[in-house]
Amino acid sequence: MVYTRKSPALFIIGLIMLGIWGLQEASILSAYIAHLGGTKYKYAGEIATVPLYFGIFSAVAGAWQWLGRHREGHFDYYLSTAAGAMFILLIAMLVRWFVAPEIAVGSKALGEIGDTGKHLHTILGLNYVVLGILSGIIIVNVFRIPRWAENGVRLSRLGLKTGVILLGTLYSAAELKNLGGLSIVMIGFFVLGSVGLVLWLGARMKVPSSMGGVLSAGMGVCGVSATVAAAPVVQAKSVEIAYTIGTILLWGVGCMFVFPIVGHLLDMSHVQFGAWAGTGILNSAQVAGAALAYQPDGIETLKVAEIFNITRVLILPVIVLWLAVWYVKREDLQTAQVNVGRVAFEKFPIFVLGFILLFALSTTGVFAPANHYKGKYFGNTVASGFKQENLLKPGQIALLKEESVKVQRQDRKQTLQRLIDNGKVMSIEDDDILRGLINANVVSREANKVLKKAHKAVRHTAKKIKAFRDWVTWLFAFGLVGLGMQITVSSMRQAGGQPAIIGGIVGAVKAVLSLLVVILLISETV
Amino acid sequence: MNKKETEFDRGTVLSIFSSDRREDLMALVLALVIALVVYLAY
Repeated sequence: MVYTRKSPALFIIGLIMLGIWGLQEASILSAYIAHLGGTKYKYAGEIATVPLYFGIFSAVAGAWQWLGRHREGHFDYYLSTAAGAMFILLIAMLVRWFVAPEIAVGSKALGEIGDTGKHLHTILGLNYVVLGILSGIIIVNVFRIPRWAENGVRLSRLGLKTGVILLGTLYSAAELKNLGGLSIVMIGFFVLGSVGLVLWLGARMKVPSSMGGVLSAGMGVCGVSATVAAAPVVQAKSVEIAYTIGTILLWGVGCMFVFPIVGHLLDMSHVQFGAWAGTGILNSAQVAGAALAYQPDGIETLKVAEIFNITRVLILPVIVLWLAVWYVKREDLQTAQVNVGRVAFEKFPIFVLGFILLFALSTTGVFAPANHYKGKYFGNTVASGFKQENLLKPGQIALLKEESVKVQRQDRKQTLQRLIDNGKVMSIEDDDILRGLINANVVSREANKVLKKAHKAVRHTAKKIKAFRDWVTWLFAFGLVGLGMQITVSSMRQAGGQPAIIGGIVGAVKAVLSLLVVILLISETV
Repeated sequence: MNKKETEFDRGTVLSIFSSDRREDLMALVLALVIALVVYLAY
């Protein structure tokens, strides 16, 4: 089978990308960028480089696909994915650089919604991540994926997994030390509880063991991947896998849109929301989607959510083993031999090992000096990167003085006083205490903004870490647009019947209980 | 789903790779290449 379609599509995509770059270079986009935010518009740097490189690649590969002669083989198979991959990337570019900022401009024009202090697009999470997935869903359900793009769309999961592995470069040992224990306890409880609840409900509602087994893995661990991993263990039929995936996608897509809205309404901190999303949302991609939707301009929420998500993924082999033993007992397959070691080896996700490998490399300081916390380092002198214009202004200091009466904890009071006296954060310990104060939401919103400004002024990002962040953001954006292209109305309709009822009950219980646990137990910077 | 599966004689419905493990390994290789590029270029 020859996979390359003789089509000018990829060549045209290349020209469009080069056109975007050219318009930016010729300053023709300046007026439009001023409309989208002017100096606050963050993507001018990306537009100056990304479409140039990918535009050249697309134009060259596109000319070959359009005019060349193609034979069956590895070269044809893998290069044929370029059209679909660049199609996804172009959508991600357009949505991130133009569509999402345009919607934000329109939303801001409407004013803040009620007492929330937030605009409509923030509350609904209408950012480039959600809009990218929506674009994918619209394309696949309204227009169909073009034939020339079909093979490349199957690269989206590779993008997500690569993003997860690279995320390992953005963790420090201190973060995992603090968050790991909490995530293990929470995830352990909710994963085992969800699997157990699905199996129990499945038995009560008399669904087949294979159906209950595969649904429990999907609902408990990490969605589609877990479903695929557990399916052969419980000898699930293809229709049961489809039902499970349909249930997970329906529930997961709903959660991805609803979680950020609830998070904004409850004014949850990044850590709280990350922990909740990483625990309560089923599928890895949708965890990332919700986290990025909640905080599109930063990666703190995503990092917390992914630690919880990774912890959950790590439990997959345990669940697979549990299901293997449960299924054999349930079906009374006395003759079947379950090799525990072999099942664990075969089902362990390698990309999780990759994440751990890059985390280990990052911890050694190979990417950034060891004192660069979270890839950022503390510096409150000019020599260490502090800019004098970032000293707090008299009005800001007066506001902090006024708000300081609300602060009860002694260490926070003293730290705040030092900030007021010096106009800048004086030590890394002070900075950590101030971050705790910010996350606790003790002072007013305006005062919190001043504290955040003071915090940002003494934190400087390492260049390598910034580059890794950009890669992770783009890989996730790519993967999630592609994910949208795999969500068909028919796959969601397949969630009908008992699996959907069981999935709905377990998903709702997990979401609500994990929200309560997060709000009760997590209130500080972790 | 079966109809969709017949459209590709290589890989699966969700991936161009024949198995999850192969896709994981490719993701690992890709990530290491990107890490090396970032390490050398910045």
